[in-house]
This record gives sequence, structure tokens and C-alpha cells, in this order.
Amino acid sequence: MADVGRHPRIELLAYSEVDNVTGYVGNFTVTVRKKARYVDVAECTACGDCEDVCPVTAPDEFEIGLATRKAIYQPFPQAVPSAYVLNIDECLGNNPIACGKCLEACDKDCIDYDDEDELVDIEVGTILVCVGMDVYDPTTLDEFGYTRYENVITSLEFERLINSGGPTRGHLIRMTDREQPRTVAFIQCVGSRDASRGNPYCSNFCCMNTVKDCLLIKDHYPDVDIKVFYMDIRAFGKGFEDLFQRSKEAGTVYIRGIPGEIEEDPETKSLRLYVETTTEGGVNCHEVDMAVLSVGAVPKRDSDMIQRLLTLQRSQDGFFLEAHPKLKPVDAATQGIFFAGCAESPKDIKDSVTQASAAVGRANRLMMQGEVKVEAITSTVIPDLCKSCGICVKVCPYNAISCDTKAKTPAVVVEAACAGCGACSAECPFGAITMKHFTDSQIDAQIDAMLSDNPQDKVLAFACNWCSYSGADLAGTNRFQYPANVRLIRTMCSGRVDKRFVLRAFAMGAPIVLVSGCHFADCHYINAVHWTQRRVEKLWDELEKKGIRPERLQLEWISAAEGQKFATVMRAVEELRQKVTRDEIEHTRKVLADVLEPTGVVA
Amino acid sequence: MAEEAKFCCLRCGAEFLLPYTPGVTEERTCPNCGSNSVRRKKDK
Ligand SMILES: Cc1cc2nc3c(=O)[nH]c(=O)nc-3n(C[C@H](O)[C@H](O)[C@H](O)COP(=O)(O)OP(=O)(O)OC[C@H]3O[C@@H](n4cnc5c(N)ncnc54)[C@H](O)[C@@H]3O)c2cc1C
Ligand code: SF4
Ligand code: SF4
Ligand SMILES: [Zn+2]
Repeated sequence: MADVGRHPRIELLAYSEVDNVTGYVGNFTVTVRKKARYVDVAECTACGDCEDVCPVTAPDEFEIGLATRKAIYQPFPQAVPSAYVLNIDECLGNNPIACGKCLEACDKDCIDYDDEDELVDIEVGTILVCVGMDVYDPTTLDEFGYTRYENVITSLEFERLINSGGPTRGHLIRMTDREQPRTVAFIQCVGSRDASRGNPYCSNFCCMNTVKDCLLIKDHYPDVDIKVFYMDIRAFGKGFEDLFQRSKEAGTVYIRGIPGEIEEDPETKSLRLYVETTTEGGVNCHEVDMAVLSVGAVPKRDSDMIQRLLTLQRSQDGFFLEAHPKLKPVDAATQGIFFAGCAESPKDIKDSVTQASAAVGRANRLMMQGEVKVEAITSTVIPDLCKSCGICVKVCPYNAISCDTKAKTPAVVVEAACAGCGACSAECPFGAITMKHFTDSQIDAQIDAMLSDNPQDKVLAFACNWCSYSGADLAGTNRFQYPANVRLIRTMCSGRVDKRFVLRAFAMGAPIVLVSGCHFADCHYINAVHWTQRRVEKLWDELEKKGIRPERLQLEWISAAEGQKFATVMRAVEELRQKVTRDEIEHTRKVLADVLEPTGVVA
Repeated sequence: MAEEAKFCCLRCGAEFLLPYTPGVTEERTCPNCGSNSVRRKKDK
């Protein structure tokens, strides 16, 4: 940290928050709120005279409440910049000055009760998201008695407890009597690997953290008995199995089973752990002096805000989603944004640093070039048709469109930010947006050509480039049989499938139309696929109102790996096609005849 | 607990309950045939 603070080309904005981000790759403007510290950082020498006289004590966040601090304090010993900060909500001395002791004590006149937050705009080309994670709160797992029993603590609290810079200077004590415990239990996977009682995923670092803690205890206190209750020990990293074996050789006992209940002895405050184990058989009771809950990782609690500011995707577990798990593991789907560390998924320090190095490399690669290649397929607004309604601005997953709805000026697409999904084009009620290389007239021409003769025998399917079209390819290469009368129209994203295309196909005599795209979690364009579903849902209502069976419009999510599903879906829609009568098709053609009339718009 | 609503499958015709939050778009699958052509039944 000190090196970062000293580096001539790194500007460190500590005690600051990002308020807003605008722009696009190469041209981001980040608005940072530098929070009021009430202490002049340049002058403060961190002598601590102010802290000595401050009468207010509060729980120390860095020590997770295991120690206290004053209202004026240094966030943690190695903090950069090495300066104090005043928590104005706790301070007695502000407006009107009721205390003012720190003001008097500070020789350097660093303290300013009138300090205010400052907003600064920073121009940057790329952004790295490395906001880390939060830890699982085990209070809801009542059986462990966390917060009810003082001698049940979390692994994060334990980290501070045995840290030489921590509240006990690294001495292992238990909370109730400040005595060294004789027996310590670790309970693994608290909040992890159990969807019904926490999160379904493995938090990756907790097993090895416990192994490390056991070795540390055995190193300093060889007489302390340690029992680790676990489901599996996952020691798959370099040198990890060796550490695991060493901790066993040092005397740590590993017991396979997670306690179902912890009870406290009201007198001794020792704990009784009831556990059914596969190693011992039956339910056994283990008495220990303290228990450490090995808590898992959860996504940062303000992830929603970061997601919104940077138009990011999240995976089902809530962590930020990379553009591609194998080929772009540190890139966000939005160009110019990269991930490192636990923001992307739970991982240990080594993997976080590896990912950070990769992310910096990716960012540098972009910035060294000094220019970016924009997508060939981007959207373009036709100014004469735009009514400045602003719908496209809301639709675009990449915030690539701006529109001044009050000034009624036409919408503007930033091509460098546009990824080319086409959702805006499909949603614009005035046909004012077209897509390069996938224009309305090109798609119309494909629909017309495919349904020009014997349309009643065809199934018309729209397939997105990345998933369902690739699923079709896979079905082909694997020789999965599907009906030969399916006609595919490729769009980059199913979000591009304009309602007009579907109606046109029906007006041309299509018995069945299928819209297919990526599963929501795989959408190549953040969440453009959501617009597809909403549009199809509206179309079902509209078709029904017009007396057309909504069943004739089918919707399917097919991934690139689902060649088998592609073939199955095509067989199913062909079965549906056979049930559509000629009368129905004729009726639809009549009802939708006006769809085929030229609009005068050439998009 | 998320609210539930009645849905019907436009491929096989099955009717079923699925979690539903107004305004939230979710991927839905028919528990009978696996189709994603799942439409919410609105009370008439
Ligand atoms: C109990 C426990 C024990 C562990 N033990 C080990 C171990 O022994 N060995 C090991 O390798 N790993 C261990 N880990 C994992 C290790 O902590 C992580 O690998 C590592 O911290 C990940 O680094 P990071 O930079 O991604 O996140 P963090 O270390 O969490 O850093 C993220 C930083 O971003 C800041 N931040 C967050 N949001 C914002 C925002 N909106 N604006 C500005 N700043 C923000 C945070 O304040 C924080 O400083 C342990 C984890 C836990 C919970
Ligand atoms: S949706 Fe269409 S009309 Fe509305 S602002 Fe965007 S381009 Fe203009
Ligand atoms: S095509 Fe997609 S990414 Fe491009 S402006 Fe339209 S909605 Fe945004
Ligand atoms: Zn079904």
C-alpha cells in the first residue's frame, strides 16, 4: 500500500466513493465523492495527540468490534495516507462546538469541523472493478448460537484475534474469560455449499484458511486441541495438500460432519457441539472452549449500485460476470471494464493477485493502442424519424444512447459503446433506429424469400448468433435429426427481433414463428434477452386480441452447447405447425395484411 | 417467499404455478415439456 501511495503515476483516492460513471471505453468520466475527513491529510503526521484526548469511544470496524477506537482515529495501522479521520456522526465537537478537545490538542491545526464532501471528475480510459466481497452473516443459522454465545466467533473475527497487530497482539484468548482456550473447534462451510441455509457455491478460500489457522495455533500453542468439522476439505491449490497433511501431523483432528446444534454451559461458558459424523458414526457430543465458524463469501452488499453505474452483468450467485469464462475471464461485457479478485468470484489472495495482473495487462493493452476498434454491427439513429421519446436510452444494456427528451433533439448512439445487440432498434416505436448489416429491409427480405412459396409448410425461426444459431450448428455437426422445413434467420441477439418481423412472417403465411435466443445467464449483451421475452409476451397478447392463436409464436432459450435441445425444439414446433389449419393461416394473412404495406421507411 | 402466479405452456398446454414478481423478467421453463414458451395467465 505504501508503494502505491508513493508511486508518481498512481493517484490514490482513499476514503472516497464513486458517485457516477458516464462515457465509454477510452472516455469514461468518473465522479468521485471524496468524503469529508475533517482532518487535513497533508498536514497530519498521525502523531495521535487528538486520539488521546477524544472522549468518545466506538467499536473499531477494522477489528470487527473486538476493540474500540475513538471518534477521531486512524482506520488501520498501515492505512495510506497515514492520517487521521474524524467520524462526524460520533463527534461531540461539531456545530456548535461542545467538545473541541482534538482541535486544541493538534499542534498542526489539522482539524476542520467545517470540512465538506468534495466531488471530483476524473477522466479515465479503462476501469478495474476490484471491490472484493463481504462475508456471510451466520446470525440466521440459529443452531450455531452466533451472537448468543460469546465464545462462538467467525473466522474473520478469529483472523483479527490471532493477528499480531490485532486487539490481543496475537494472543489466543476466548471472549468470556480472556483465558487461553484448551480446545478450539472450527466449523467449515458456514453459509456455503447449502442453498437452503446460505449459498449453494463453495467459497474457495475457507478450507485452506482453517488449515492455516490450525497450523498457526499449533505453532504457538502446541497443547491446544483442535477439531475441524467439515464436509470435504478442498485442498487443491499448489502446496495446499502438503499444508493439510502437516496440520494433521501437528495434531489437528478432522471430523467429517457439521454440528447440528451448539449449546453453551451456562457456568463455564464452554460449548457442546452435537454432531452426526461419518468418521465416528452416530450423534456425538464434543465439548470445546471456543468455536470458530468458517464463514463463506457473499457478493459485496452494494453490488447493485456498482452494477448500475458500470452496466455490468452478475452471475446467479450475485458476483460480477465476466464476458467469457475461458476466453475473457477478466473482461466485463462492457468494453474497457475489467475485474480482479473476489468481485468476480470468491478466491484466495494468490488467485486475486493473478487475476489483478491479468486485468491490468488487458487494460494496458487497450490503452497502449490509444484507439479501439468499434463493432462493425452498431445501431444508427435516423434523426428525421426520431421523436425523442427516450425509450431506446432505457433499453440499451450498455448505456450507449443518449437523448435529451426535453430539448426534443434526436437520440445519439455512441458507436464505441454500442455492442450491436439491436434491442434499441426493435423497441423504437417509430422505426428510427437501424442496425448496420442487419437492417430492417435486409431481414424483411429474408422473411419474404423464405416464405415466398408454400409458406404453410415452413417453420420460420429467428436464432441469435451466439447461442441458438450455434446450437443449430452443433445439432448439424452432431447429425441430430430435425425437420428439413425449418428456415433460420440469424440476428446477433434475439433482442433484435422486432415485433414487426414476427407480424410480417405471419402476414406472409407462416404457420409458426419461433424466436430463440440465449439463456438469460448466457446473454452476450448483458440483459438484452429480457427485452426479447417482454416483447414476445406482449405479442402473445396482441395476437390473441387479433384472433390469432398465441401458440403459433414460440419462444425458446437454446445455448450453443444445446444441439440436442435445438433438434428437440425444432421437432416440437414442427408438430405444432402440423396442427395449424389453412383457414387459420388465411385468416391471419387477412388480419395482418396492412403489415405488408410499405411504410415509406427504408431502414 | 416470492409470490406465485399461474402460467400456461404454449407448447404442451400444461398449467402450473411459478414464482412471479411484477415487473421482473425471469427465464421460465414448463415443468411438463421443458419449453420456454411460458405465458402468465391473467385473471379475466
Ligand atoms: C475470514 C477470511 C480469511 C481468509 N484467509 C485467507 C488466507 O489465509 N489466504 C488467502 O489467500 N486468502 C484468504 N482469504 C481470502 C482473501 O481475503 C481474498 O482473496 C482477498 O481479500 C481478495 O482480495 P480483493 O482485492 O478481491 O478484495 P478485498 O481484499 O476485499 O479488497 C476490496 C477493497 O475494495 C474496497 N471497496 C469495496 N467497495 C468499494 C467501493 N464501492 N468503492 C471503493 N472501494 C471499495 C474495500 O474497502 C476493500 O479495501 C480470506 C478471506 C476471509 C473472509
Ligand atoms: S426510441 Fe426511437 S424515437 Fe425514441 S428516442 Fe430512441 S430513436 Fe428516438
Ligand atoms: S444496438 Fe444494443 S448496444 Fe447498440 S445502442 Fe442499441 S441497444 Fe445499445
Ligand atoms: Zn409445456
